[in-house]
Amino acid sequence: MNLTGKSAQQTLLYGAFCVAILLVPLFLDDAFLLNKYSRYLVFAMLAVALSLSWGYAGILNLGQATTFGLGSYCMAMALKLGTVPVHTGSDGLPDFMVWNNVTELPWFWAPFHSMAFALMAGILVPAAFAALLGWFMFRGRITGVYAAIITLAAMVVVNLVIIDQQRFTGGFNGITDLAQFEVAGLAFDAYSSSTYYLVAFCLSAVLLLSLAITRSKTGMILQAIRDQEDRVRFFGYDVALYKIFVFAVSAGIAGLAGMLYTIVMEFASPTFLGVPLSLSVVIWVAVGGRQSLLGAAIGALIVTGVQGALSESETFLESWMLIMGGLFVLVVLFLPKGIAGAFEMLAALFLRRSAAKVPSVSQPAGEAITHGEGAS
Amino acid sequence: MELVVSQLLTGLSIASILMLVALGLAVIYGVTGVINLAHGEFVMLGAYCAWFLQTEFGLGLIASLVPIFIVLALFGWIIEALVIRHLYNRPLDTILATWGIGVMAQQAVRLMAGGELRYVEMPAALSSSVNIFGATESAYRLFILGLALSLFALTWYIYRHTAFGLKLRAITQNRDIASSFGINSGRVYRATFAYGAGIAGLAGALVSPLKSVSPEMGTTYVVDAFMVVVLGGTQSLFGTVASSGILGELSGFLAFHSNDTIAKALVLLAIVILIRFRPQGLFAARVRT
Amino acid sequence: MNSESNSQLALCDVSVSFGGFVAVSGLDLAVDRGELRCLIGPNGAGKTTALDLICGKTRVSGGEIRFEGRPIHELKEYEIARAGIGRKFQVPSVFRELTVRENLQIGRSHHTGVFANLVRFGGSTDDNEVERLAELVGLSDALEMAAAHLSHGQTQWLEIALILAQDPALILMDEPTAGMTGQETHKTAELFNRLRGQHTLIVVEHDMGFVRDIAETISVMHQGKLLAEGTLDEVSSDQRVREAYLGSGGIGHA
Repeated sequence: MNLTGKSAQQTLLYGAFCVAILLVPLFLDDAFLLNKYSRYLVFAMLAVALSLSWGYAGILNLGQATTFGLGSYCMAMALKLGTVPVHTGSDGLPDFMVWNNVTELPWFWAPFHSMAFALMAGILVPAAFAALLGWFMFRGRITGVYAAIITLAAMVVVNLVIIDQQRFTGGFNGITDLAQFEVAGLAFDAYSSSTYYLVAFCLSAVLLLSLAITRSKTGMILQAIRDQEDRVRFFGYDVALYKIFVFAVSAGIAGLAGMLYTIVMEFASPTFLGVPLSLSVVIWVAVGGRQSLLGAAIGALIVTGVQGALSESETFLESWMLIMGGLFVLVVLFLPKGIAGAFEMLAALFLRRSAAKVPSVSQPAGEAITHGEGAS
Repeated sequence: MELVVSQLLTGLSIASILMLVALGLAVIYGVTGVINLAHGEFVMLGAYCAWFLQTEFGLGLIASLVPIFIVLALFGWIIEALVIRHLYNRPLDTILATWGIGVMAQQAVRLMAGGELRYVEMPAALSSSVNIFGATESAYRLFILGLALSLFALTWYIYRHTAFGLKLRAITQNRDIASSFGINSGRVYRATFAYGAGIAGLAGALVSPLKSVSPEMGTTYVVDAFMVVVLGGTQSLFGTVASSGILGELSGFLAFHSNDTIAKALVLLAIVILIRFRPQGLFAARVRT
Repeated sequence: MNSESNSQLALCDVSVSFGGFVAVSGLDLAVDRGELRCLIGPNGAGKTTALDLICGKTRVSGGEIRFEGRPIHELKEYEIARAGIGRKFQVPSVFRELTVRENLQIGRSHHTGVFANLVRFGGSTDDNEVERLAELVGLSDALEMAAAHLSHGQTQWLEIALILAQDPALILMDEPTAGMTGQETHKTAELFNRLRGQHTLIVVEHDMGFVRDIAETISVMHQGKLLAEGTLDEVSSDQRVREAYLGSGGIGHA
């Protein structure tokens, strides 16, 4: 890894953020607040997922909530089957299926008796969905606005199907009355520090993993694709494959966020893969800074945090939406790199001022030449 | 026979509304390349204007049309001047910015007019129904169809046979060259945006007696309108008419044979596939890339 | 020319048209390994299109292109690149938001797999090679600078360096000196003369001074066809070439 000053600083900043969110429960003993903050952290993870595909690879996914919702349903199905017999009918059928005259557990529900399967499915199903959609789009060189519209349309289709197939999905109501998430003998009460730690830990892991991806050569190639797709192709890289990869990774992260969201909220609903949420994610990322994973996460925390703080009062919430719309337009117009971009600009200004006092470091050119052969 | 005619009429009625809503979007997108996600809110504002003029001033719907067009055109003009003109080189950002504008418009209306449903009365002269080949159709729906077609004809006339239309066509061919011949593309874009917004307002006013008026009503319209434009091809006004017809009849047909939800999903799916294999739309000619 | 089977690159009866406009028709061209070939011709002769056809940016509508004995005209762009063909575009195209160092690392495309590159964070051999190339094109002091901040001439050189990092057997250069100052053009000519023998080069150029500095064999294209081939003196005394350039002020001013 290229550990120049700048990237070391960046690693430090990310580490500090992870430590900070993990320390919160030490200073906070309010179960209700912890649940709320867990929710915000889940949103931050969703923002990181979008930043990876939009900020780094230039794929504006207007349907990020699709994969989020798929993950959340995977978890909800497993937790629903975990409630036997309290909220399931005869033969272990979920209650809403009994009400809809379903007599047998559908085949695609059966494996969700296993939590291990559900955990894997919650990440792999969204990733596979995205890989398929990505293959469909990127092999056909669909880019930019058209890709954005396809992701949006695909989300509406999935949403409509879930609402329509009430017998298997719970329809409009979603899947409610779930068991508590338990793994390896640990129970995660949605209103406790254990769930908060789970979410904070996952967010930290996702953030650091994503950082590693962006620092790798693959990450660099993705940024090059964002800049000049054609140029990359003529170096021999399979551009579509790179895009499919990042699209699927982003979807897997969103799926994980969706699973956590079901644990925190204790239900799954078609609104989780709705247009409003999907576009909210775009706002968070744009405000925080699309080209910074941490910026995107912080953008989500700020926007949802302020929204949450104002949500106690109806009028405030409505004027907040008005203000947020305006703020968003201003960010798009004047701060295309969001808060993170503004921060970087300030930092660069500050560094330049202090660097002016230090003599510049000379280039280690001599050594480089001796290794080259023939050309010089 | 009766059933077929009634089916066709239902489809035609859907199609005429689609065309009204899509025309403004098609004009804006075709000329400026801006995907206006606030288009649905322009429609919604038009509907609220109709409601406001009716409840506050007792103005009939027909009499309100001209003032509504002017108000919305002015609104579009301002939006272009404040926001859109900064973003012509950043197509993805226009999606975001116009969406932000849409959110603001929705919230502003919710704060000022309340979130509850509003109703607009149909013009009394058109509330009867007409008998066509044994099937009945409301006179108002036929009126909308007629008006949609006239608006299309007007737009086509402006595009093809006026000096302004010539400038438009020059700019869509090549903005830089058009500018170097002294065409003020900024002003043409602004006028186009205003015109598109005005038509969206008319669409909103015209559908208001058929559907309830609410701050959220725009969302469905923008998706539908966008699909029409994509299907028709962005450079083709006739494409917009043809695709409105196709989509209208198709949704009418599918809704009759399955249910609304699945019909919608199928239409969307068809459009996704279309974008993938023919992003230039069904009715656009292939050009050298 | 007559021993096409031995050539590294061979275009046989290649043609392409865009919506009725025939850009290249019945083009035959053969280039040997290690050769430095200049491709010239009046505007619209189809030179850039010929390069587009070789690297797969444009698909042939007829004929065949063979590289190292293997037909490549149906391969995807990235497969052609992997086969050993590099392309420099007329409008310099580099990754403006990335630094010069990052640009060069992307140019080094020996490993093209997504997962292989996922665990690759730039090692010392990579760094040495990157720094050698930067030195070669005079960008050593700009390694950590975003490519967007380079001058036009520097951007041209960066793209040339990117192609060298890719290290293809055949390099296609489309007007590499466009927009360069006289001094920069001269340095580029020196660079190309050094590359001679290590890579096969096909250079499309308008600057005849530059062509004179580097050329051994020159191919002249006109109206999508190969018109003449030979040394500079041979082609400039060719009657057909004179006629083709008629009205554009002669070969030296095209």
